[in-house]
Amino acid sequence: MITYNSQRVAYPYFVVALLLFGLQVLMGLWLAINYAFTLPQSLVNAFPFATARAFHTNLLVLWMLLGFMGGTYFMVPEESRSELFSNRLAYFQLVLLVGTGVTALIGFLFGWTQGRPLLEIPFELDLVVVAAALIFLFNVAMTLIKAKNWTMIQGTLLGGLIMLALLYLFGIPFYRNLSVDWYYWWWVIHLWVEGAWELVTGAIMAWILMQITGVPRQTVEKWLYVEIGLFLFTGIAGTGHHYYWLGAPTYWLWVGGIFSALEPLPIALMVWDTFRYIKGGQHAISNRVVWTFAIGCVIYHLIGAGLWGFIHTLPPINYYTHGSQVTVSHGHLAFFGAYALLNLTIFYYAIPRIKMIEKFNARPGLLGFWVSGIAMFLMGLAFGVAGVLQTYLERVLGLGYMTAQAQMQFWFKVVIAMGLIFLIGVIMMIYDLLTLKPASQEHGNA
Amino acid sequence: MSNKTAKWIFYVGTLTSATLFLILTWDTHRQIAALTHAEQLSDEVVAGKKVFQKYNCNDCHTILGFGAYYAPDLTKVYQRRGEDYIRRVIAKPEVVLANSFRKMPQQHVSSSEIDKLIPFFRWVNGIDTHDWPPQDSRKKPLAGAERLVSGSTLSLGAALFKENNCFSCHKLHGVGGDVGPDLDGVGSRLDLETIKKQISDPQSVKQGSEMPAYPELSPQDLQAIAEFLVHQKGGAQ
Repeated sequence: MITYNSQRVAYPYFVVALLLFGLQVLMGLWLAINYAFTLPQSLVNAFPFATARAFHTNLLVLWMLLGFMGGTYFMVPEESRSELFSNRLAYFQLVLLVGTGVTALIGFLFGWTQGRPLLEIPFELDLVVVAAALIFLFNVAMTLIKAKNWTMIQGTLLGGLIMLALLYLFGIPFYRNLSVDWYYWWWVIHLWVEGAWELVTGAIMAWILMQITGVPRQTVEKWLYVEIGLFLFTGIAGTGHHYYWLGAPTYWLWVGGIFSALEPLPIALMVWDTFRYIKGGQHAISNRVVWTFAIGCVIYHLIGAGLWGFIHTLPPINYYTHGSQVTVSHGHLAFFGAYALLNLTIFYYAIPRIKMIEKFNARPGLLGFWVSGIAMFLMGLAFGVAGVLQTYLERVLGLGYMTAQAQMQFWFKVVIAMGLIFLIGVIMMIYDLLTLKPASQEHGNA
Repeated sequence: MSNKTAKWIFYVGTLTSATLFLILTWDTHRQIAALTHAEQLSDEVVAGKKVFQKYNCNDCHTILGFGAYYAPDLTKVYQRRGEDYIRRVIAKPEVVLANSFRKMPQQHVSSSEIDKLIPFFRWVNGIDTHDWPPQDSRKKPLAGAERLVSGSTLSLGAALFKENNCFSCHKLHGVGGDVGPDLDGVGSRLDLETIKKQISDPQSVKQGSEMPAYPELSPQDLQAIAEFLVHQKGGAQ
């Protein structure tokens, strides 16, 4: 149940995020078809893989950021015990971001692009994104300042969001030198996912766990300090694992190798904390869906981001796997595990409360979780097998790129099959979240 | 653990890592000019980078290993494929990659834009990537193409065949491109003189041939390549 009316502004954020998520997965399937089959030249000319990929990745970034922002708008009133500074600004900012997103996607179709992966949107649209981010930060900061009810969890969240916005600026200029270009590209991408976004994750996860388990705030905040300390310690210098082969000095092999080898530690701590809170909590778990997603998220995070990342950022391995399907495998498992599941955890926590639903049928949500979670894991494995094949055939044996790709066809077909199952799971969750209804008494086992 | 210790872990951890990272970033800026031959980073190269971005090349290809993984890495494309192939594949992907099961879009890149891409790829080729990628490494001979040249068919002709980038378009014993015909068993199909004519002036053998002419080859080199090829007997695999 929501305590503050302005928490409702989160809902349209969640709805848009969910729809974009569905579109992202559809685009992903299209990309897999591009890999597995020969498409006619005319189709390739009209809708190149590159455009579809720009859709897939930009939709990912947009829906996740909207999820984080919605989550923030939901959490901040309750944490600061006050209404938001301005509901209107929150809605305006959503319109601005969605408008930018739609313009960007249509622009891609007509070749309006900066041509840098993940940061394709043109300079003019970058400015709109910056404006929207400033409105968002202003709105959140003003709420906190007026409420004068500072908590460490809010500090972490706001810190993560400010870091996120500042880092985006490094992706805007045109760099003459390609190596320098990629050097700062990673300030956005890596320091987002292994820095700023981890702060947001840490804060939101800690807050939700505190709410559902009733573990004392002091305990949660203490361990949150340790978590984010370790995240930033390993994550910042760990950026070096992207600097091995781009024309930077050799010491990055050592710095990147050592710090990124430590990157699983904070995630492991997060898993341990989660289990302790759930076991030692004061409250009986009343919402099994949130509980499942939260645990699923931290474990998947540890496997996809931690373990997969650990394995292929060791320099001697990365020399062969860098920029292969192994990277794709890691990317999918890490983004789904760490951030898609985090957003879904937020949605399953917040949406019933916004709709004033005390108990709802848990079955569709749980089913969606298992179907999508398992399908994504198998998809990650299929990408991984394709990646190992590619590494061996192309980079060890020295066969031509396409000769090696031909041997990987079967695994791309497996990816399509798993993608279809994943899509079913995702549609189940989207449909469930958008149509949540109170459970009738006899089925009230949510 | 006390609350105070937890806070210390946060501050010390974050500051140590950030300080180290910023110092190394500063030092990287000092060294990167030398590592990337920034003195050769002319306006022409930068113009090429803009063309590279304009056509969103990087959302199919990787470069320096970054980007999408749908098409070959372009870091060393200048050395691997040569200028002529790069020009042809960008101008006419539908012809050059007609036999490839993965296509490249025809984006109508103008010839003046292609003129800019070439120096860009030449410059990228010179970046010190610590010998990455392995498939283009000159230090670690790879099994495929190198073994073909140095092992079973050690000859001047084989070496010249490789040096002139014939593998870019032609396949031999399963190695090489799909643009031109597979050359396994070519010696059973063509005689020495036809092969020589095909190389020095493809139009004289077949009107409208897509193969570039190699008139700059010396008569001795031409003879050596043709002899190497005419000894490729037997049916195509």
